[in-house]
Amino acid sequence: MEGIGYKILGAVLTTILAFVVGMFYGGFSRKITARIQNRVGPPVWQNFLDVLKLLFKKTSVRYGFMHHIAPLWMISMSITTLMFVPVLNDGLFFTNLNFSGDIIFLLYIMVMGSLGMALGAGSTGNPNSAIGVSRGLTQMVGFEIPWVMALVALMIQYKTTSVTGLMEVQSQSGTWLMFSSPFAFIAALLAMPGMFRYSPFDIVGAPSELASGPISEFGGKYLSTMMTSGSIFAFVKLTLYVDIFMGGASNLIVLVLKTFTLYMYPVLWGTVSARFRTEQSVRYFWGWPTFFGFIALIYAAF
Amino acid sequence: MYNDKESQKIVDIIQNYARKHSLFILAYGTGCGAIEIPPTMTSRYDAERFGIRGSATPRQADVLLITGYLATKSLKRVIKVYEQMQDPKYVIGFGSCTINGGMYWDSYNTINVLDKYLPVDVYINGCMPRPEAVIAGFVKLQKLIQQGKADGWDIYKKNIDEYKANQKKIITNWVMPDFNF
Amino acid sequence: MSENILSKEQLLLDLLKKKFIINESSIKRAKRVEVKVDPKEIIPVLLYAKENSRYISFAHMSCVDWIEDGEFEVVYILWNPEDKINFFVKTRVSRDNGVLPNIDFIWRQANTYEREIREMFGIQFEGLIGRQEFILEDWEHMPPMRRDFDTAEFVKKTYFNRPGREDAKDVREFVQERTDEELPDFAKKYSRD
Repeated sequence: MEGIGYKILGAVLTTILAFVVGMFYGGFSRKITARIQNRVGPPVWQNFLDVLKLLFKKTSVRYGFMHHIAPLWMISMSITTLMFVPVLNDGLFFTNLNFSGDIIFLLYIMVMGSLGMALGAGSTGNPNSAIGVSRGLTQMVGFEIPWVMALVALMIQYKTTSVTGLMEVQSQSGTWLMFSSPFAFIAALLAMPGMFRYSPFDIVGAPSELASGPISEFGGKYLSTMMTSGSIFAFVKLTLYVDIFMGGASNLIVLVLKTFTLYMYPVLWGTVSARFRTEQSVRYFWGWPTFFGFIALIYAAF
Repeated sequence: MYNDKESQKIVDIIQNYARKHSLFILAYGTGCGAIEIPPTMTSRYDAERFGIRGSATPRQADVLLITGYLATKSLKRVIKVYEQMQDPKYVIGFGSCTINGGMYWDSYNTINVLDKYLPVDVYINGCMPRPEAVIAGFVKLQKLIQQGKADGWDIYKKNIDEYKANQKKIITNWVMPDFNF
Repeated sequence: MSENILSKEQLLLDLLKKKFIINESSIKRAKRVEVKVDPKEIIPVLLYAKENSRYISFAHMSCVDWIEDGEFEVVYILWNPEDKINFFVKTRVSRDNGVLPNIDFIWRQANTYEREIREMFGIQFEGLIGRQEFILEDWEHMPPMRRDFDTAEFVKKTYFNRPGREDAKDVREFVQERTDEELPDFAKKYSRD
């Protein structure tokens, strides 16, 4: 707990953990989707093979500076976000950097990765990428509103803006925030599939419409970096939900159980639904999720 | 240690293993063979258990699957797509039409021998090949990749003049750039 | 009932014969009427059929190469959805420099067929709007669907042939061997050897 060496070691360990767990979650989601569709499906380590193969691919495409920077931007933003999320309640390595006020900071930094992707996709000049980016930003306007409302409600209710503060509230009272402030949880949960971009909210990378959207010009090492970043970011989002609403986790097994349970919700929804159009997606997020966000704010204020 | 033959061998084994088990396919489905792709990918024959997965753009794809006959008009597009793919890349010729013209062998507008225009790694025979045959073709390609013999992309680069001469012989009005890399 | 339907078909023929110059007409079978007219009678006949006899649907338009007669036969197929009758209008033009009236002001979809026939057979249509190049790309030979265009020769010259297919027989030879029947003269003239 003391010394900068432990902190650095903790950061590296957290990143590796996030990568491995996120990759396996991706593999499990592919396997589960396959089983639902009555298929055998790929092995659960398939995503590792994909990333490895993409690393071995050559790249002969040059679109300028931003095209090179975008995957690095995304992965650095994912790791930065990871650094501000406590992975375990208390532990030597996984508490990471935490200071008062980090929820507001997290809200900002969580969209930075998408911003990097948007800039990189814009510099490729592919029309599919441009459409994908505009759809992604529109959808972000959709799901950010209930998500921010839920978090603001929590901040008002418990007079703290820190993730660790909220975790302390839960450990002191003994109940999870999903029970003590249910409306915020519902709003955040309904907004969650938009962040994961599974069906029906996969309008950004719609393969049959947009030829995978913003990433359509990124292949090889770029795509590999983006997939790595995506799996880390998935882990971050799940851990953040668990930290805020489900009381955190005291050890890794509990963490994996809780995050996996949470992760199944967008995956299973995705397997049984078709893709929304952009305006349908925004209409969904501005409907019930925003309504519950309002209720949560009122609940918190009075 | 680095850059000697032994360590290169180990790297080759790892990279061929990864390439073998993760094939992103780009199906060029203008011919009738495109109808055999959905059953191959979906629940009955499930090609995903071999790590085969569809890809929507040539930048991310490894395998170009040419399903059936190619008119000269679509050959132009196929060349464009093939050259946009990143190395290493493989081509699977699918059906008799790509091998010797099939039933369109004396048509004024379809090419007969695909491997004169693009380097083909694996041919799948049949009109049309059943999904079992398609999967057998993929397994054959995986074997070739593991042995390091699926080097059509390398052959294409080495014999680029010959391939370009063949392509320009039938695409008389070549309005695109010479190379679309 | 069948008499009633037959009479409808006969009615159409009688009306047409009264108004236009019909070279040949026949009722092939029930619900199938066929007339042959000159190219200048095409537009009046089609307009009359559409406006007065409710042949409102333009089903198809195709072309036959009668190389022995030196003529192309263009066939317009109309359909009456109420009486369920097919109406074939046939006309013939010369193989060299044949010009037909353009009918895409009657049915807009005829434009597509006319452009295809123009490209594949080389028949010109008066005042037909649309690019000369329709389906083929950069085609600089004779229109390919004409019967004097030797496809096999063209393929041999243009494309590669994989060895092992040389013993493939012409279908006509194969049929002749199998049934021992003589090929007609015109078929011999344009067979491969």
